[in-house]
Amino acid sequence: MDIDEKDKYELENRNENSINYQEPVLSSDWQFGGANLTSAGMSLVPSGNPLAIGSCPSASVADSFGSNLWEHPSISQNLGFCGINVHNGASSSNAMGIGKGTLTSLRSNIDRPFDMGWNTTGILQQSLSQLPADSAFIERAARFSSFNGGSFSDMVSPFGMPESMSLYTRGVGLMAGTEDMFAVNGMKSVFGVESQKSKLNAIEATRDACLQVENRAIESPLENGRKSESLVRANEETKQGTGGSGNESDEAEFSGRDGGQDEPSSFDGTGGEPSAKSLSSKKRKRSLQDAEIDQAKGGRPLTEAAKDGAENQQKGDQKQTTTTNKTTGKQGTPASHPPKEEYIHVRARRGQATNSHSLAERVRREKISERMKFLQDLVPGCSKVTGKAVMLDEIINYVQSLQRQVEFLSMKLATVNPRLDFNIEGLLAKDIIQSQAGPSSTHPDLSVGYPSLHLSQPGLVQAALPVMGNNADVMRRSLTSHLTSMTGGLKLPNQLSNTWEDELHNVVQMNYGTSAPSDSLNVNEPQPSGNTKVEL
Amino acid sequence: MNPSSLKSRFTTRFLRALTKINAHKPISSSSPGPGEIFQRYRRIKVAADKSMAYSVRSRRTWSRATLWRLRTRSPRSRLATHARRSWVKTRSTRAASHGKEKKEDGGTVEAEELRELVPGGEAMDLCNLLDETAHYIKCLTTQLDILDRQECTSREL
Repeated sequence: MDIDEKDKYELENRNENSINYQEPVLSSDWQFGGANLTSAGMSLVPSGNPLAIGSCPSASVADSFGSNLWEHPSISQNLGFCGINVHNGASSSNAMGIGKGTLTSLRSNIDRPFDMGWNTTGILQQSLSQLPADSAFIERAARFSSFNGGSFSDMVSPFGMPESMSLYTRGVGLMAGTEDMFAVNGMKSVFGVESQKSKLNAIEATRDACLQVENRAIESPLENGRKSESLVRANEETKQGTGGSGNESDEAEFSGRDGGQDEPSSFDGTGGEPSAKSLSSKKRKRSLQDAEIDQAKGGRPLTEAAKDGAENQQKGDQKQTTTTNKTTGKQGTPASHPPKEEYIHVRARRGQATNSHSLAERVRREKISERMKFLQDLVPGCSKVTGKAVMLDEIINYVQSLQRQVEFLSMKLATVNPRLDFNIEGLLAKDIIQSQAGPSSTHPDLSVGYPSLHLSQPGLVQAALPVMGNNADVMRRSLTSHLTSMTGGLKLPNQLSNTWEDELHNVVQMNYGTSAPSDSLNVNEPQPSGNTKVEL
Repeated sequence: MNPSSLKSRFTTRFLRALTKINAHKPISSSSPGPGEIFQRYRRIKVAADKSMAYSVRSRRTWSRATLWRLRTRSPRSRLATHARRSWVKTRSTRAASHGKEKKEDGGTVEAEELRELVPGGEAMDLCNLLDETAHYIKCLTTQLDILDRQECTSREL
C-alpha cells in the first residue's frame, strides 16, 4: 500500500514538478516548527519533493502563514491562495462529503495535474472509498490529522507534488476523523490553484466548500465577488455531505493537534450552518487557537499571528456591539471581525460589499470605533453613551473641562505662596491627599464655601463652580456659554477686563481668607483626575 | 514610582519651572496686585503646558504642536503664526477632503471642535485625532493631578 502510494506520488512528482515547482526558497518562510508535519510529510512522500515537505512544516497556524504570506509579497500567487487555504479552518460538512471525493481523486488523478485532479465530488468519493482499505493509509491519516489542514494546503499549491499530497493527506484526514478538515483544505488549495489555472469544472463544488472556510482575514479580491453565492452553494452541498461540518473540522483542526478526532458527532447535519456560524466561530477559535499555538510553538510568526488573532478577537468582542456584524447576526456568535493583521488585508464579510473602497472604509470605521471605545473608558460617565456624535460631544466637553481645570489650578498656584520644599515623592505618591468627595456634594460645598465671592458677573461664578467641582455631570449641565466666556477671559490676556480683576480679587480673598472655603475648594478639586488616571 | 513614567518626568520638569518662577518673582507678603498674579498665573500655566509637552517630546502630534505654539508666541507671532496657519491649512484641507471623500461618518462638526481643542489636531484625520485625544486626555489628567497636589502642599504653608 505504501509502495503504491509512493509510486503514484513519484509519477505525480514527475508530472507535476515541472508544473508547480515554485520558489522553494519560501520554505524557509514556513518554518513554523511543525516538525511533526515534516516527518509525516516525509513518510507520506518518501520520493516526494524534499523541498515540498520541508517547506510545509507547519503552517498549521493560518494566521502565521497568512502573516508570512503578507510579509513576503514576492510570494507567488500560488502561495497566496495556498495561504488562503491555510487560513480556512475546517469548514463544513462539505468536508466529509468532499473528503471522500478527494481520496478518490487522489488515486485517480495521480497522474494528472493537480488542478485537474480535483474533479467532481463523485470522483472524490470514489477515491475515498478506495483509500479506507489501507491500514497504513489510515495510520498516516491519523498522523496527518494531527496537523492543521492548512499545513497541507501549504504544501499543496506552490508545489505540484504537494498538491497531490494534499489530496492524499486530505483523504487521510478524512479517515482519521478530521478528514473533512483536510479535505476542505485540499479544497482550498484546489481552489487556490484553480483560480490560477481555472480549469476545473467539478472543482466548483470543492471551491464552494473552500469558500465557505475561506473566511479568514486574507484578502482575496478575486474571490470576494463570488464568495456570497458560492458560499450559499457550498452550503447546499455541504448539507448533502455526510457528517463533518465545518465546526468540527474547525475545532478538530485547532484544538486537536493530537489526532484531532474531536466530536465528529457534534457536527452532523450542521452543514448548512457553517457558512455563517463557522465564519465567526472559526475566526474566534482560530484566534484562540493561535494563541495556544503561539504558546506551544513560540515561533515568532506564530506569536505575531496569534497576538493579532487574540487582539483581533478581543477587538472583535469589544466591537461586537458597535460593529455592524452582518454575518453572524442570527447566530449570535462573537463578531466575525476581519482580523487585521496588516492594515490592508481584510476579507469581505458575508453579505457585505466587496468593493475595495468599501473594504477600506470598513477597516477605517472599525479603527475609529475601536478608538472611540478606548476613549469611552477614559472619559468618565460615558459608558452608557452610545453613538459617535454624542460620544464626541462628551469627549469635547471633557477635554474642555480638563483644560479649564489646568488653567484654574495654575491660577491657584499663582496666588498661593509657593512652598519651595518640593517633595517630589509626595507629589508622586499614589495616595491622594484629599478624600474624594462625591460629585453630588460639590455643589453645596462650593456654594457654601464662597460666601465672600462676589463677582460682578454672576456668569463667571457659575462657570467657576463647575470647573472647581470637576464633575463630569456638572460640566454637562453647566452652561457652555459661561464656560466659554470664562475661558475667553482666561485666554486673552490683553483683554484684562475689570471683571477679570474683580475675579482675581475674589480669588485672592478666597485664598488668603478663611480656610474653610479653601478646604472645600480643595476637597472639590479635580478628584476625577485621580479617577480618570490612565496608565498607558 | 516608575522613575521614567510620564508623571515623574512631568513632575520634575514642572517643579524645576516653578522654582525658577518663584525665584524670579518672589511673591510679596502683601497681597499682590492682580496683574502680578495674572502674570504669575500665565507663567505657571505655560510652565505646566511646556513641561508636559517636553515630557512627551515629539512622540505625539499635540505635544509638538504645543511646543511649537509656545515657541512662537507673541514676539514673533505674526510671521510664525502665518507660516503655521498656512501649513496647517494645506494639511487640513487635504485631510478634510480626503475624509469627506470617503463620506466620513463621524460627525465632522464634532470632529472639527475636537480638532480645535486638541493642539495640533487640525491636520489629522479622525482616526489619528482620536488617538491623540486619548493621549492628550491622559496627559491632562496627569497634569491636573500634579498641579493639584502641588497646590495643596503649597497651601499648607
